[in-house]
Amino acid sequence: MTTDRNLHGVSSSGPTAGPTPTEDSAGGRRVDLLRLFPPLKWFVSRRWFQFAVVFPTLLLFLLFLLAGVFGSPVGNRNIIVVFVWILWWFLLISVMVPFASRVWCTVCPFPFFGEWLQRRSLVAVRAIDPKQRTGEESESGVLIGRNRYFGLNRRWPKALSSIWLQNIGFLALCTFSALLLTRPIVSVMILGFLILLATVLHLIYRHRAFCSYVCPVSGFLSLYAMTSMMEIRSADTDVCAQCGDKGCLAGNDAGWGCAWGIYPSKLDRNNYCGLCMECVKSCPHDNMALNLRPFGSDTQLKGYDEAWKAFIMLALALAYSVIFLGPWGFLKDWANVTESKEVGGFLLYTVILWAGALVVIPGIFALAVWIGRRLAGPHEASAKQVFLGFAYPLVPLGLLVWVAFSLPLLLVNGSYILMVLSDPFGWGWNLFGTANVAWTPVVPQWVPYLQVPLLLVGLAYALKAGWDQATRLFGRQSQALKAFAPVAVVLTVTVLYFFKLYTG
Amino acid sequence: MQARTRFPQAIDLLIVSLSVVFGGIVGFMTTPLPAPPQEREITIRARQYAYEPEVLRVNKGDTLRLKFISEDVVHGFFLEGYDLNVKIFPLEPEFEVSRPSKPGSGERVQEVAVTVDREGKFRYRCSHTCGYMHPFMQGEMIVAPNRLFSTSIGMGLGVLFGGLIVAARKRKPV
Repeated sequence: MTTDRNLHGVSSSGPTAGPTPTEDSAGGRRVDLLRLFPPLKWFVSRRWFQFAVVFPTLLLFLLFLLAGVFGSPVGNRNIIVVFVWILWWFLLISVMVPFASRVWCTVCPFPFFGEWLQRRSLVAVRAIDPKQRTGEESESGVLIGRNRYFGLNRRWPKALSSIWLQNIGFLALCTFSALLLTRPIVSVMILGFLILLATVLHLIYRHRAFCSYVCPVSGFLSLYAMTSMMEIRSADTDVCAQCGDKGCLAGNDAGWGCAWGIYPSKLDRNNYCGLCMECVKSCPHDNMALNLRPFGSDTQLKGYDEAWKAFIMLALALAYSVIFLGPWGFLKDWANVTESKEVGGFLLYTVILWAGALVVIPGIFALAVWIGRRLAGPHEASAKQVFLGFAYPLVPLGLLVWVAFSLPLLLVNGSYILMVLSDPFGWGWNLFGTANVAWTPVVPQWVPYLQVPLLLVGLAYALKAGWDQATRLFGRQSQALKAFAPVAVVLTVTVLYFFKLYTG
Repeated sequence: MQARTRFPQAIDLLIVSLSVVFGGIVGFMTTPLPAPPQEREITIRARQYAYEPEVLRVNKGDTLRLKFISEDVVHGFFLEGYDLNVKIFPLEPEFEVSRPSKPGSGERVQEVAVTVDREGKFRYRCSHTCGYMHPFMQGEMIVAPNRLFSTSIGMGLGVLFGGLIVAARKRKPV
């Protein structure tokens, strides 16, 4: 069996695979939605499931691209900007991620063409019975596990097997967010480039290398999906242990082997599961569960790349809150470089953003961790374990900060959605009679009253998560308290600063 | 087992909640009081994509006599929570005032008076598409006493201190 099972440290036998999930170690009770709602199970078990959910998204995506190229250059008059950066963004960060994990990846159109070319199939599975291998199969594709693929199917370079590329790519993309959010053609260029890149990488590398290691959206989805109230897991890991088929991993005639390189029995975090539902189809023992679970159930960051993703997301939320929700015109001019021509200001803004995200915020955090370790006295946990453990609280906090940031974007600019629904290209159409709806902010004066509770809940979750990490790492209560106190102060000050930005 | 662990968690939650409420009350009570109301004459200059002044600091009860001028293109001035929308014309002292609650109520004037009767932070936003960054063109009117801000600061500190109390309670770590 030829598989690359070591994506993101999730391996069938690797040391980083972590404990097999049980009710206790996985943190709380689970309700299997597939067993609770049989029609849902029927739907996701169909071979055509993914095509059925991706194809409409793809059509919308193509409409957006056309609108971006041929429609109005004014962002709030063009469906690509309004639907992608106001509606989609809000739904993604406020609804999909917290409640349905990486369900966006289930319907995402980026890998559509690449996966199609890689599999030469939109619905059916190409699988062989291993007993019938003759060695001739390689003439028509590459055999990986029991599935046949096309293209070069190279292994992704080990040196790039982390989310660092996604971290840097996302930060680079966000540096130009003032252009991305306001110019339809820039959105077309970026989204078009990503779909092209996804297609090319599918032809060169096996499985979903693009989604796993390159896609800038995937990076933050992987981080915040840890908090989600939904997960795919093996229902009974004993069944997996005794299973000789391992169709979930190797593929079989019922489903493709996991495109994300995950063996479900060892899956203990949401980070790198794209919810494609192939394992539901390929499991010969009907042993996959789509669980409802408590918020914030995955609690372990497994590498500095993931910790830095949390820092980058926090820095961006801070920067966006200042630039886009703040009153300072000179900052908008710096970010809006192609119009303002303030190249010097843009360079300064870029340096501040990158330094803040990659050095200053992580540096402040590292200092707090260092002070905490000194205060705690002798302990067995390594510096890396403590750093990653205490970085985890930034995940629930970061998510709530992003929801708080995104809320006014939707409430204030939501009426643009009605306008572009009737006039997607900004050409003067009025398809549904809503093209001339006046710009009407919805309860804008109450937005701070919604943001404050969101931030308070985020802080409470972060402190609870940090304390759990501290007790896990330090054992003794007094040591844990001393170790976590400086980080708790940093987390609190961070939230207080957001209060200042939003209400002060 | 579940029943035994839930009870302490409920206590923890209660402690943190009380601490948040206490912090909020302290924040609310200690909000700096504003100066007596006064009449202020303010000229707001609009340009792509900012207002001058960017931040208006006023007191509850103040009467603002607002004048507007645009330095470049047509801009808007929508003041959150105050039923005021203004259309500002380039380099013209006259502007068009309307009430969002009464569509079609526009009239051209050279000054509009606003009595500040709500406290807190209110954004004023451009309501007339003025260019690429139009959706992000905004300023802030901060009305003292800003009790929401001081209350939220108190509540945030309440979360921290409540958490510390919970953490310091004598029991084995979970």
